[in-house]
Amino acid sequence: MTAAVPGALAGLRVLDLTGHRAQLCARLLADMGADVIKIEPPAGDDARRIGPFLDDLPHRDRSLFFWFYNLNKRSLTLDLKHSRGADIFLQLVRSADVVIESFAPGTLDQLGLGWEVLHRENPALVLCSIAPFGQTGPYRDYIADDTVLTALGGMLYVNGFPDRAPVRPLGLQAYHSSAYFGAIAIMIALLARDNSAEGQWIDLSMQEATAAAVEHVAAGYFERHEAEPRRGTLHWSRFFRVGKCRDGYIMHCTLGDWTSLIEWVKSDGKAADLDAPDYQQPMYRYLMAEHVFEVLDQWVKDYPRDDLLERAQLLRQPYATVRPPEALFDDAQLADRGFFVEVEHPELGRKFRYPGAPYVFNGTPWRVTRRPPLVGEHTGEILRDDLAVAPEALATLYAEGVI
Amino acid sequence: MAAMPLEGVRILDFTWVVAGPVATRILADHGAQVVKVERKDPPPMGNRKLGLQCDLHRGKLSVALNMQHPRGVELARRLAAGSDVVMDNFSARVMRSWGMDYQSLVAVKPDIICISMSGLGHTGPNSSYVSYGPTLQALTGYTQLMAEADGTPAGYGYSYADMCGGYTGALAALVALWNRRRTGRGQFVDLSQFEAVAAVIGPALLDISVNQRQQQAPGYNSQEGPAAPHGVYKCRALDGDNDRWVAIGVRTGPEWRRFVTAIGSPEWASDQKFRTLYLRMQNSAELDANVSQWTATRSAEDAMATLQRAGIAAGVVENGIDLCERDPQLKERGFWPTVSTAKGPPTNVTGIPFKLSGVSGNVRSIAPEVGEDFDYVLGELLGLGKKERDELVAEGAVWT
Repeated sequence: MTAAVPGALAGLRVLDLTGHRAQLCARLLADMGADVIKIEPPAGDDARRIGPFLDDLPHRDRSLFFWFYNLNKRSLTLDLKHSRGADIFLQLVRSADVVIESFAPGTLDQLGLGWEVLHRENPALVLCSIAPFGQTGPYRDYIADDTVLTALGGMLYVNGFPDRAPVRPLGLQAYHSSAYFGAIAIMIALLARDNSAEGQWIDLSMQEATAAAVEHVAAGYFERHEAEPRRGTLHWSRFFRVGKCRDGYIMHCTLGDWTSLIEWVKSDGKAADLDAPDYQQPMYRYLMAEHVFEVLDQWVKDYPRDDLLERAQLLRQPYATVRPPEALFDDAQLADRGFFVEVEHPELGRKFRYPGAPYVFNGTPWRVTRRPPLVGEHTGEILRDDLAVAPEALATLYAEGVI
Repeated sequence: MAAMPLEGVRILDFTWVVAGPVATRILADHGAQVVKVERKDPPPMGNRKLGLQCDLHRGKLSVALNMQHPRGVELARRLAAGSDVVMDNFSARVMRSWGMDYQSLVAVKPDIICISMSGLGHTGPNSSYVSYGPTLQALTGYTQLMAEADGTPAGYGYSYADMCGGYTGALAALVALWNRRRTGRGQFVDLSQFEAVAAVIGPALLDISVNQRQQQAPGYNSQEGPAAPHGVYKCRALDGDNDRWVAIGVRTGPEWRRFVTAIGSPEWASDQKFRTLYLRMQNSAELDANVSQWTATRSAEDAMATLQRAGIAAGVVENGIDLCERDPQLKERGFWPTVSTAKGPPTNVTGIPFKLSGVSGNVRSIAPEVGEDFDYVLGELLGLGKKERDELVAEGAVWT
C-alpha cells in the first residue's frame, strides 16, 4: 500500500458529497490517484446503512456496500446545514478542483452552496450534479431508486421472456452507468479548463445515462419505429443465445468462423441442415437464428460445459460458459493479471480481497492507497492540515456537532 | 462560437464492433477529431446512416487503409505521429503485427497514448480468448444471476459489457490526456473488457470474498437496502398492448404510509402482517399480489403519476416507443437530437446524458461511409497531393 509512482490524477482534489446512488463516480477518480475527500453528515453516509455487512453484523463501519464504493477515499464529517459547516465546506472548495453531489435538485441552493456561490468562491471549480432526472424538466423532482431508473431508462423492459415479467438487470446498472458518465464528464470539463481556466457545472441525468446504455432500443425505434421486444436470452443482435449443456449453461455465438464451427458440429453428427451454403452468410444466420440455436442446443446438450468451452476457444469460437460470480475468484486469467487485490483493514486485523482495476496504465499504475474510511476518520487531519483550524476550534466544532 | 471541450485532440481509431466505437464516439461528441481506420469491407453491421451504426460512428472520419500493404501501414504510422491517442480493441498480436503497438509508435511519437481495449487483456493465460459483450457477461456472472425464480437464465437482451468497456476506455483516454498535459508523458493502457464488467458487479463481490456467501439471483429484491413493495407490477393495457408494467420501490415507514394513502387506503394495507418493513419483506409475495390488484386497474402512466405525487419512487417500464416518443422528461431535455443527413430526411440518435454549463458536447454529423474521408485525411492531414493519393490507390495501399 505504499506510494511509488503517483497515480495518473495525482494533484487533483475532489470533494465527494454523493449519497449511495452516485459514489462510484468519485471512486473511479480516486482509483486513478485523485485525492478524494468524502464529506459525510456527522451520523455517516446513508450508504453505511446498506448491507451486506461484514460477518452480517450491521454497523456503519462494516457495510460492504460502503466499502465497495469508497475504497481509496478519505472521510470528513461535516454538517452542511450548520452555518459553520457550510463555511468550512466553502474553504475546502477554494483549493478543490471538483465537487460531486447527488442531492435532490435545488438542495445545494437551499444550503447556500449552489453553483453561483461555489463558482464565485472558486471560478476554476468543476461541479458535477448527478440526479435521477437531471436538474430540469417535468420529472426533475421525482424520486427513483435503481430499479425505477432501469424502468424509465428503457433497460428493464428488454430483459426476460416476452410472455413473462421483465427481469431486473443485475448490479445497480443505472447507478453505475451514471457514475461512469459522471467521471467522463468531469474529465472533459477538466480538460476544457486547461484552455479556458473556467470551471463548469455538469448536469447529469441518471435516466439518460441508463437509456444511453441500451442504445439499441432507441436505435431500433428510430430505424423501424418499433419497440424492441424481450427475447429471453437471445441477444438483440440474434447472434448469441444461452444453451444448456450436460452440467450447466453456455453462451452460443454464431459470429465466429462458421466453417470450423460446423465442421465440429458435423463431426459430432449433429449439424442437421446447418452445413447448407446459405448459413455461411451472417445475414442468413441472423434471419434463421431460432432454428440455428435449436440445432446447436441439441448439439451441446450432452457436453460438459468446461470441455465445450476449451475446445471452442481452441477453434477461436467466441463461446463462453455461464458462470456464477464466485468463479471470478478462481479465474486463472484474473489471477495472472492481479485483478483482485488484498486490502488490509488494520483496525479489524484482517485482510480482504477487493476487485481492482480493469486496466493497466503502464506509466501511472493503479493501486490501493487506503482502505475505505471509517466514518469521519480524516476530519481532524484535513481541517488541521488544509484549513489550519486550531486545536481548540476543532474541539468546539466537535462539541457543537458540526464535525 | 466557443471551442468544444476536446478541440485539438486527435484520436486514431482502429476499434470496431461496439465497445471501442462507444469509447471514441464519446470523445468525438465533445470535439475530438476521431479518424477511424477501417478495412475496405468491414463485416456487415448494418446501415450507417441511421440506427445503431449511425450512433456508434457519428461525428467521426473514416479512411480505409490496407494494413496488409507496407504503404498502408506507413500511412497509419504517419497518422499516428500526428495523433494524441491511438485506440484499438484487438487482441495483443494484431497491432504488434502491423508495428502499430505502443512500443513501435513511441519511436514516431514519444508522448503517444495507446489504449488497447481487448476482451481479456494483453497478458495472462486466456489473453487470446475471443469474446463479445454477451460472452463476457456470461463469464462474469451477470447472465446466471439474471434468472427466473426456477434458475432458468432469462436475462440480457443487450450488451452491458460493451458499454462498461466503452466507458472505461473513454475515461482512460481522458485521464491519460490529463496526465500527459501535466507530465509530458504518454503511456500504454491495457484495458480488459472482461475486468471492466467484472469490476461493476458491485458489493456482491465483497459479499463473496469477505463473507464467503454464495450469490443467488436477486430477482426484484432491492440491492440498495430493504424495500417492500419493490418490483414491477402489471398495469392496464394501453391501446391493446397488454405488456404494461410499473416499477415501484417503497422503503421507510413514512413512505409506506404515503403509499397506502396514495392507493386509496385499502383494507388489506392495515393488516398486522404489513405493519413494519420487516414484516412487509417477510410477507412480500402477498403484498405484491395486493399491489398488483391496484396497478391492474390503471395505466402504468397513471400509477406512476399517482405515486410520484405522493413522493414514492415509481416509473413506467418504458419500451422503445415510450422512451423515444412518449417520455416527457427525455423530450424536454432534448435527449434525442436530430441530425441532418446529406441525402434523405434527418434522423434521430441517442443523445449525451450530461450537459455542461459552458460548451456541451453535441452530435455533429451522422456516421461516415467506409473510406468517405479519404481526400481530407490523406490530403489535409498528411499533406499528400492528388498524384500521390492516386498512386496509393492504384497500388492498393488505400481504398476510396
